[in-house]
Amino acid sequence: MTDLLSRVSRLQAMVFAAGALLMAVHGLWLYLMGDYSRLILPATTVPLMVLAAILRMGRNEPSRLSSYLVLIGGYLLIAVELIQPSGQASLWLGLPPILTLLVLPLGPAILLNTALAPIWVVLLGELPPDPRLVIGYLTLVVMAGLVPWEVLRQKALMRVTDPGDDECSALNALSLHDRLYSESQRAGFLDQPLAVLVLHLPQLEMAGEQFGPKARQALLDAVCQEVEKRCRDNDLLGRESSEDFWLVLPDTSENGALLVAQRLEEGLQDVVLLETGQVEVRLTPCILRAGESPEHFEQRLMARTQHLADP
Amino acid sequence: MQSKYKVQLLRGYLLMAGLGVAWLAQAAPSLPEEMLLWLTSGWLCITAIMLDFSHRRPAMVPWQLLPSLLLAALIWVAPERYQTWLWAWALLIMLPQPPWMGGVNALLASVTWWSLAAGERLPLAALTGALLAGMMTLGLARNLELQGLRAMSRHRVRLIPGLHLWTSGRLIQDLPSERARAQREGIHAELVLVRTSLLDLWPLAQRLCRFSRRFENCYRLDRRTLALILIDRDAEQAGQRRQDLLTMLGDVRRFRASALSRIESLGDEIHAMNRQHATVTVIREFNP
Repeated sequence: MTDLLSRVSRLQAMVFAAGALLMAVHGLWLYLMGDYSRLILPATTVPLMVLAAILRMGRNEPSRLSSYLVLIGGYLLIAVELIQPSGQASLWLGLPPILTLLVLPLGPAILLNTALAPIWVVLLGELPPDPRLVIGYLTLVVMAGLVPWEVLRQKALMRVTDPGDDECSALNALSLHDRLYSESQRAGFLDQPLAVLVLHLPQLEMAGEQFGPKARQALLDAVCQEVEKRCRDNDLLGRESSEDFWLVLPDTSENGALLVAQRLEEGLQDVVLLETGQVEVRLTPCILRAGESPEHFEQRLMARTQHLADP
Repeated sequence: MQSKYKVQLLRGYLLMAGLGVAWLAQAAPSLPEEMLLWLTSGWLCITAIMLDFSHRRPAMVPWQLLPSLLLAALIWVAPERYQTWLWAWALLIMLPQPPWMGGVNALLASVTWWSLAAGERLPLAALTGALLAGMMTLGLARNLELQGLRAMSRHRVRLIPGLHLWTSGRLIQDLPSERARAQREGIHAELVLVRTSLLDLWPLAQRLCRFSRRFENCYRLDRRTLALILIDRDAEQAGQRRQDLLTMLGDVRRFRASALSRIESLGDEIHAMNRQHATVTVIREFNP
């Protein structure tokens, strides 16, 4: 995923750089033609676009500043084009709202598009403006907003239907509770024991604050890998909250759970990470009682987790 | 869970856009334009009605092709009025779509650009083309982001939020682990395949999810086939539940239940169901 994100940011940086190049060529042409009065546009937009490209290049998170720089460059270009009586005003009018939607999130983009509408109309120079042009612009703004909205819907859908956690290979809290419920029901139905190991990682928050997101990720990965190595296929690791994990062990008695806990502790003692050193983990087993309801068991587990986190 | 994302808001917005375009349509100066705008309006309204918050309808290609074709046709028919919309290509390429569909969009974009640029001075045409290409690349970058997300979670997502209904990829993963687990725990597990009609699939899937216990997963295999893993203490209890299930299902085209220990692979199982003569077939555990 990070690989993909860096590809996306490279692609965007390339487009910004190409925009800068385009404006530079335009400036050179104006200079050669001796049209010095119009040189001011390329002279302002080229540095803006170059800066935007550099800002976008280095990081995977979309940088708001680079988006705004590109927007300013684009708006300046359009404003100058609109003032000129080229007869292409209606063509250029469509560009700014689309550019806004491409580089900004949906909410700010729609706000900005609506706010800028009167400015574009005034720049067109005709007052009162051609109503057809205004309606065309507004329809474009409304219709264009549909696409990012659909993309947002798909992303939200992906989030609620994906059982995995965002940061590590464990289940997320929502599906963990779902699976715990079904496993306790199954255990009750088939008269099997069910054990849950509660894991608390006291180092996690500190690792993120002191050594940055990479150290935090390394710690998470180490724990998930170790659990995966020591457990059976049916055992489920889920992330209850950011520092607390539940390891659901179906068909496991208290003795079995203690054994798993011991093996895990021993295994994790051997894992030494670069920044945080030896992985520290607090473990405690919790067993489903005979006849206990899934809800009650879940509450007991939450209390146990709380207790483990602040001893 | 539905409330976490306000699908109604998007539906309202779509309907509003549909009405706006309808207003444009009745004011359109020429007949072809009017027809195209009415089509657009119809597309928006039907999309609004079909919209729901689930993976039931993954982006259907012919349905998504329509806005691209409409945009191209509008610019083609009346360039002087719709050239404002030329830049919308950069957004259409942002939608989740198969690669060939992206190709079609790029092709249509260049055709419409060409039809507009033909009558223009060369520098202006070149500038328009370069800007359009740059913006479409930005759209493509946004599209890549979403595609990465989809590729990562395609095999593990639930089909409808909150329901234990999964994809066939998930069943392929679950089969061996459920079999191993049943063997170890000494319980009876069987795979039930149900073939129904296109229209009945989703109502039946919901009924199947309600019938099954929380720990028994349901799967959608294709447009007419559903699967369910039944878990019981022994074969006798399993027989009873199978009967209940058949009564609940009522009329189905095919029904096949096989003990997990007798299943080679999911593909073979589906193949066997396609060939079975009787409507209901049960493959019992092998008792030596």
